[in-house]
Amino acid sequence: MTLSAYLTVAGLLFCIGLFGALTRRNTIGILMGIELMFNAANLNLVAFNRFLHFDRLDGNVMTLFIIGVAAAEAVVGLALVVAIYRNINTIYAEDFNLLKG
Amino acid sequence: MLQTAYLIPLIPLVTSLVILFGGKEGKDSKMPFLGIAAMGWCFIHASVVFFQALTGRIALDPGNGYFLYEQLPWLAWGDRLRIYLGVLIDGPAVTLLFVVTLVSLLVQIYSLGYMHDDKRKKRYYAFLSFFTSAMLGMVLSSSVFILFACWELVGVSSYLLIGFWFEKPGPAYASKKAFMTTKLADCGFYVGLLLLFYYTGTFDLVQIGNQVEKGLIPVNVLNAIGIGFLIGAIGKSAQLPLFIWLPDAMEGPTPVSALIHAATMVVAGIYLIARTYFIFNAAPAALSAAAWVGLFTAFIAATMAVTAYDIKKVLAYSTISQLGYMMLGLGVYGYTSALFHLTTHAFFKALLFLGAGSVIHAVHSNDMRDMGGLLKRMPATGTTVGIATLTIAGMPFLSGWWSKEAILHDVYAYSPGMWVIAVFTAGLTAFYMARMYVLTFLGTPRNNEKYEHAHESPTSMTAPLWVLAGFSLLAGGILHYNHLFEHLVHFDGQHGKHHAPAFLLPGAAIFVFIFGVGLAHKLYSGSLETAKSLRKQFSWAVDTLEKRYYFDDFFLWLVDLSDKLAAAAFWIDSKIIDAIFIDGWALVVRAFAAVHDFIDSFFVDGAVDGVGTLTQDAGSGLRKLVRGQVQEYLLYVSLAVAVYATFMLSR
Amino acid sequence: MEQIVFYSLSAVALGAGLAVVLMRNVLHSALMLGLALMAVAGLFGSLGADFLFAGQIVVYVTGVAVLVLFVVMLAGRESDLHSVQTNEKWPLALAIAGVTFCGLWRLFCTYSNTMVRTPAVPTTEGIGILLLSDYALPFELISLILLAALIGAIHFSRAEEKQ
Repeated sequence: MTLSAYLTVAGLLFCIGLFGALTRRNTIGILMGIELMFNAANLNLVAFNRFLHFDRLDGNVMTLFIIGVAAAEAVVGLALVVAIYRNINTIYAEDFNLLKG
Repeated sequence: MLQTAYLIPLIPLVTSLVILFGGKEGKDSKMPFLGIAAMGWCFIHASVVFFQALTGRIALDPGNGYFLYEQLPWLAWGDRLRIYLGVLIDGPAVTLLFVVTLVSLLVQIYSLGYMHDDKRKKRYYAFLSFFTSAMLGMVLSSSVFILFACWELVGVSSYLLIGFWFEKPGPAYASKKAFMTTKLADCGFYVGLLLLFYYTGTFDLVQIGNQVEKGLIPVNVLNAIGIGFLIGAIGKSAQLPLFIWLPDAMEGPTPVSALIHAATMVVAGIYLIARTYFIFNAAPAALSAAAWVGLFTAFIAATMAVTAYDIKKVLAYSTISQLGYMMLGLGVYGYTSALFHLTTHAFFKALLFLGAGSVIHAVHSNDMRDMGGLLKRMPATGTTVGIATLTIAGMPFLSGWWSKEAILHDVYAYSPGMWVIAVFTAGLTAFYMARMYVLTFLGTPRNNEKYEHAHESPTSMTAPLWVLAGFSLLAGGILHYNHLFEHLVHFDGQHGKHHAPAFLLPGAAIFVFIFGVGLAHKLYSGSLETAKSLRKQFSWAVDTLEKRYYFDDFFLWLVDLSDKLAAAAFWIDSKIIDAIFIDGWALVVRAFAAVHDFIDSFFVDGAVDGVGTLTQDAGSGLRKLVRGQVQEYLLYVSLAVAVYATFMLSR
Repeated sequence: MEQIVFYSLSAVALGAGLAVVLMRNVLHSALMLGLALMAVAGLFGSLGADFLFAGQIVVYVTGVAVLVLFVVMLAGRESDLHSVQTNEKWPLALAIAGVTFCGLWRLFCTYSNTMVRTPAVPTTEGIGILLLSDYALPFELISLILLAALIGAIHFSRAEEKQ
């Protein structure tokens, strides 16, 4: 398989995630879109590591870090969702308008 | 005792502060006793020094004319101006120390009775102590600068004491008048002081004396300095033409009049000239000016006393007249006789004032037409005032006779013409003093109600009278005996050249005394009909005298004139100068400002406001885009990234 | 064989991803997310990254996806099942996604001839050595971040204390 095939899959996955993050009304849906984008990036990194620098493992390690950071992000984000839901009884993003000037 | 003489002015100063700030104000205040005790101590101290000096127990500094001369530095500005706090004790200073402390002590004792019901006793005694302190400081100071400072302090306390009953309009006006008149004269003193410092570079009396003696200072300058000092003395000692404040100063409490406006403060001018006599001795013009001023003052004041009916006014004119005598004495090289007269005058004039105060205290009136026959009701006061009247009138062998005789002797030696006027004035003195005494104490009561109400004053008031009466009787003779006073107070200067026949001087004096007293007795002892008809006949003269030769009117006219001049100057300033220069210039400035304002508001502010409005409009426009939706922000970010990335890639 | 694995895993990943984005029921979306992540893990495996394959399964599929499921069930409402889940800006978002993909695709084309030339080797040992030598500091930092996230999550999701 060529590198471009993997990259194309990753790119498509990224765009799907972006679309989800931009369009979902549900906050949890937005978070899921972001997770998809993370995975697309990870896939990119691993693919580059495998095809261009097969004698090294830096891409894999970086991916590992990203997984860790993504896990932390998911935990905090979901905790925020729960807290918001508890306070204003909704999780739809358009109802969060405290920043309105 | 001599070495610690500097304590004599300091003790009353401290006392006055203690009285002023300590204790409670009121009728029952115990502070007067503190003042009297302090003054008693000072009197004992001063009298010991005086008698030691008089009897030769303490010697003069070898080669110099003083007993004690010490100083310590006080102020220094640069190299040239150094002012010392110093003590210079010579004959006149010792004499004045004794006189001031004695009169002050007696007046304070007397005030216990006189001011018995006053509500501001504490304040009164504080001022008395303060005055005494300033006066003694002036007497002792070795520096003309400190002398000047004390001179002003004396003026201030005089102001405070004349206006002691400040709630009444009379005293308030009188205190203001006295202060301003003397300040006017002090300008002369001040100019003299500056001239003196300019030419000698020091304020120290001894150093100045040495420089003058060596002839280092031109005669014209000395004349100018002398005239300046003389002007100061004219104000302080109530000489022509600035005497106008003294009769009004009688509005103050009578003991104050006795202390300040008879015995002590008003002789400050005489003392100043005596203290700086080495200048006058070398400045003939200034000295003869002093002589003429003194002569006319003595004469004119005596004539004014003839018609006055207010008992204190008579005494005030008499004081002016006697001060004129002293000034005349100084002017005719009679240094010793003038200071001799100063001493004796202090005793009998204080006595007269205190006696008058006693009478006023009893009768509650100043007008002699309400009195008469009071000798029977007030024997002690009547007797003592009688002694004083005879003394001042020139009864032979009493104090006044010796001192006045000495002055007349010196006047004759200087100029027989002046002597004639002086002797005539002596006659006038005998006449008006006898008139006062006859109107007050002899004859029949003219106001029975007041007569019945009158009674002798308490012991605290009569005791000082007796003490002063003793001094009036004997002091002159004792001091004259064996030339005691002349040894103590003398100045080796020039003397007059005329010699009179031995019998002429005493003879003339005795004649005018008998004539004056006899005339007064004849006119006033019975009914006042003769006197009244005389007043009618010479009403123009009486008017002139009662208006004080129009001196007051003259000064008021001067003030009025200056008012008018000021008004005219103000008119010119406001209507012409202001209109052209200020208002015209203002118009130009306003026109320029209007143009400037237009440019500023239209262009500059327009630009500033435009920027503001633009920002505001842009902000409110952008605000519609921003709805607080985080997802939208994300959309915008993505859009921007996508567009930018596309643009970058398609290059 | 390799191509069959790749295409099938890719199809599963992309299809599940689309389902995550488009499905109305959030619960189903979350399940689809788990499927998509599993497919990505499979892609990691096909790339020879055996450690990441395991890590992906452990962290994402059994950690994050399950967590999302929990939250969906905690914060979900009955009405969510029937309301529209996409907002009204979806055409613009679609355009952005499309433009982005076009850009990315143009870049990817440069690698269309790059092939793998070496066989895959186990990576766990190498990753372990790297984590404790060259990447020791970021490794520690990640642990710190995770601790902070732990505390933060507890703080945010804790019930309000009664004053």
